[in-house]
Amino acid sequence: MSTQATEAAPPQGSPDVTFSVRNLWKIFGRNADSVIGTDLERADRDLIKERTGCTVAVRDVSFDVRPGEIFVVMGLSGSGKSTLIRCLTRLIEPTSGSVLLDGEDIEEAGDQRLRELRRHKIAMVFQHFGLLPNRKIIDNVAYGLEVRGMSRAERHARAMEMIDMVGLSGYENARPGELSGGMQQRVGLARALAVDPQVLLFDEPFSALDPLIRRDMQNEVVRLQRELNKTAVFITHDLQEALKLGDRIAIMRDGELVQVGTPEEVVGRPANAYVADFTSDVARTTVLTARWLVRDPFPDERTDGPTTEPGTVLAQILPMLAASTAPVRVVEGDTLLGYVGRDDVLRAIAEDQLEGADQVAAIEEETVEEISDEATDHAGPAPAGDGG
Amino acid sequence: MAAMTRPAGAAGTGARNPGGSGDSGGLLRNTWLQALAAVAVLVAGYWAARLLGNPAWAGSFPTNAGDSFMAWLDGVYAWIVANRNDSPLFLYFFNYISVGLGSAVVLINQFLDFLTWAGVTVLGVLAAWRIAGWRVALLVLAAFGVFALTGLWNESMTTLSLIITSVFMALLFGIPMGVLAGRSERFYRGIRPVLDFMQIMPAFAYLLPFVLLFGIGNPAAAVVTAVYAFPPVVRITALGIREVNKGAIEATTSLGSTPWQILTKVQLPLAKRTILLGVNQTIMLAVSMVVIASVIGAGGLGDAIYQALSKINVGQAFQAGLAIVMLAIAMDRVTGAVGHGAHTPRIRESRRMPLLAGGLALVILVTAVGRLLDLGGWPRELSVRLDIPINAADDAIQATIGGATAALGEWTQSEILSPLNHLLTGSPWWLVVLVAAALGGIFSGWRTALVSAVSFVAIGLLGVWSNAMDTLSQVLVATVLTIALGVVIGVLMSRSDVFAAILRPVLDFMQTLPPFVYLIPAVALLGLGPVPALAAAVIFALPPVIRLVNDGIRGVPAGTIEAAVSQGSTRWQLLTKVELPMAVGSLRLAVNQGIILVLSMVVMGALVGAGALGNDVVLGLAQNELGLGIASGLAIVFLGLFLDRVTQGRRAPRA
Repeated sequence: MSTQATEAAPPQGSPDVTFSVRNLWKIFGRNADSVIGTDLERADRDLIKERTGCTVAVRDVSFDVRPGEIFVVMGLSGSGKSTLIRCLTRLIEPTSGSVLLDGEDIEEAGDQRLRELRRHKIAMVFQHFGLLPNRKIIDNVAYGLEVRGMSRAERHARAMEMIDMVGLSGYENARPGELSGGMQQRVGLARALAVDPQVLLFDEPFSALDPLIRRDMQNEVVRLQRELNKTAVFITHDLQEALKLGDRIAIMRDGELVQVGTPEEVVGRPANAYVADFTSDVARTTVLTARWLVRDPFPDERTDGPTTEPGTVLAQILPMLAASTAPVRVVEGDTLLGYVGRDDVLRAIAEDQLEGADQVAAIEEETVEEISDEATDHAGPAPAGDGG
Repeated sequence: MAAMTRPAGAAGTGARNPGGSGDSGGLLRNTWLQALAAVAVLVAGYWAARLLGNPAWAGSFPTNAGDSFMAWLDGVYAWIVANRNDSPLFLYFFNYISVGLGSAVVLINQFLDFLTWAGVTVLGVLAAWRIAGWRVALLVLAAFGVFALTGLWNESMTTLSLIITSVFMALLFGIPMGVLAGRSERFYRGIRPVLDFMQIMPAFAYLLPFVLLFGIGNPAAAVVTAVYAFPPVVRITALGIREVNKGAIEATTSLGSTPWQILTKVQLPLAKRTILLGVNQTIMLAVSMVVIASVIGAGGLGDAIYQALSKINVGQAFQAGLAIVMLAIAMDRVTGAVGHGAHTPRIRESRRMPLLAGGLALVILVTAVGRLLDLGGWPRELSVRLDIPINAADDAIQATIGGATAALGEWTQSEILSPLNHLLTGSPWWLVVLVAAALGGIFSGWRTALVSAVSFVAIGLLGVWSNAMDTLSQVLVATVLTIALGVVIGVLMSRSDVFAAILRPVLDFMQTLPPFVYLIPAVALLGLGPVPALAAAVIFALPPVIRLVNDGIRGVPAGTIEAAVSQGSTRWQLLTKVELPMAVGSLRLAVNQGIILVLSMVVMGALVGAGALGNDVVLGLAQNELGLGIASGLAIVFLGLFLDRVTQGRRAPRA
């Protein structure tokens, strides 16, 4: 992977960045130092494994998480995403690199300071919940407060609030074994929220749940996120989940970030074939918004079409365009951002039918009129050496 | 329970070889041929030595090294006896422990006396009810009833005090060590071989070194019991801590727990049940050891059996044995219930404190009344004398079948034990060492060959060669019998669910009994000598062997059996070609456990006249020849090491 994803990030430690991760590496194995900073650094994972016996889990990862956003890291199993999130709170010690939380380097913190950070600033929700089966729900939720040294009455009051918030009132005296998976994960969520952390880390929290319950829980996270305005890093292997929750999405493969961007960027402008392949099943009309397609008006275009907000997805714009020959006007507040016409939407949908980023790039050079012809020509793989 | 714990160490190694089933057919035949050849060499050597007129270089191991070693040990003991009250080591260390433990036992005993029999019974029954429900409470009541009616109340209380003291000590050291082993991989790896070794050591071999340090009496008995009983709690605590869900630890770490908080709030609470099972095993080992420790002066029920056996008073031994059995079963059921909590009555949290207070008040009230009435231990006059009818019955049995059993004993002795013993002692000692090494190598690889050779040479150097060979021949005969019976019964048990359902509680019961009590019926039926010891050893070692054979056969996957049946196997073919070969791991483990249990019982057989190494241990104590006793104890350890390693089999090659 030579196309290491980069983004125009503000300098480290600036106030509008909560988490700032720079050049983070995690290499499992004894000779970890023999990889970083040598020729092997860029080599294939399998080659490194063969040469040194080390497994590269996270490779030179850098990104920033802004206050109040949900930052989703998405990748298949083995891509290093779970290792990455554990490095953020040092449940796994990174091999090198820095993680700044509000400008403070977590990797530099001593045991005492690290515990302070974990008790007050960062809380994590786990795939398999990690609840204590011998404790009542209320004592599970209050655990983080208990280890801080908060008094019993105080922490129970706070825990009750959290139990109410996640909708488990009445279960506070049950034990985890008596609850369903979805309810247990609500406990996990309440436990993380109880310490009122600045950052929430989610490690595939809903992967072990049934699809219907998973949807409920996703909505729950969106709701709590809006209410409490927490910053969150969310790990998932489910693209739909990533698109639904993420303000921004980082796609991870073999320990590296391949692309970081908004859901629209990831779907609409995949950085390479891998991402394009990954997002090929997504219905673009449900992801791309008016903001993504908005353009200035053509010289002799009608400007009396219906108005919509920039966040409207294409699926909702289609009926408006069907009803009107004029392009839709995209308005944010009182400002007119521009127009989205039938051709724009058609083109966006057509791209949906194509495979691979190369064609996408090629097509973007073509004129609007040629679109429909080109689409059929490029639909299949290039006929290499035909007849030969 | 007690019997199951010891071989737990071997369980890991036996299970490690599951892949051997496929190719073991050819290999096994090969192995047995090789072993047979090694034995043939020994027989040839024996006859060759006889034909040469038993020259000195081809005889038993020379005893000079052993004699001087024993003399040196005797000297050490004499020095200790002379300086016990002068040497700082004793003055400031061992004597303190000795006095402390002695007083602990006495204090607990006095406290139990103070409660009077009524108070102790109420306390015991209430505690049993709270922990394990009313069935177990009734069982505890029955146990106290037996203590009283056999006229052995005071002896029972002494035994109970000894058990409490030694279990407390074992847990005091065992649980922290187990926690440490659970948290530190390095410590675990360091301590595991020690625990393995301790668990193959026969109880009898533990006794004498503690006499050296603490003298004869309750303190030495308490220490030896604690040391003997502590491996399971260490091992199982470590296991419990290790098994704690990694996710729970990660989650609580992520919330900022300190290592101490992780231990006290996560690991210990979650491992509690497992740890309590370890405590149960430790208590059961303590019960069995505290009886054996009567040999080094522990009072109580064990002493009652010991005295009765030495007077060949079967009736008295039976009475004391019954009390011990009730004690063991009651202890097992109560402490076992703590572990799985199945029958613990559900009591609402708000009622727990009042209930506890009420119970205490009741105990205090009963005690007060008891003291007012000047009760103490249950009066001996109010006991049912079982010993007279039992002795009469025993006499009757002896009169009818005594001749037959004596003849059987005679025949076993002259036709099996003696020839085997002659073969081992009459062959050149170096040939025996070589054959032992060869057998070790054949069955378990070159490492074991080395251990075997070293063990045998060490036995020779200890100067107890001929007695060790005597013990070895007894062990071999008893083991062959045990395995033969165990495989037959185990196979029958695996065939029939009804038979299994009947047999299982019997096996449970047998495994709860302290080994010491097995000697009583053996003496009642077979009189004195090596044969009753062998019989006791076979019966003692049978339950785990039967269980392992049954489990091994029942563990064969149903799919495999279906496939074999579908190809037209008869039941016999199914057994010999599929089930037994696939259960080979369990069978090997059964042999390993069986042989170690047989050894521990055979040496204990010295108390009923089996002679050999065990007798030297007893004799060393009785005649103040500690050198002989300790050398014999060490020889038992080496014998155990050899037998364990040879039967462990090859370990699976490391990948």
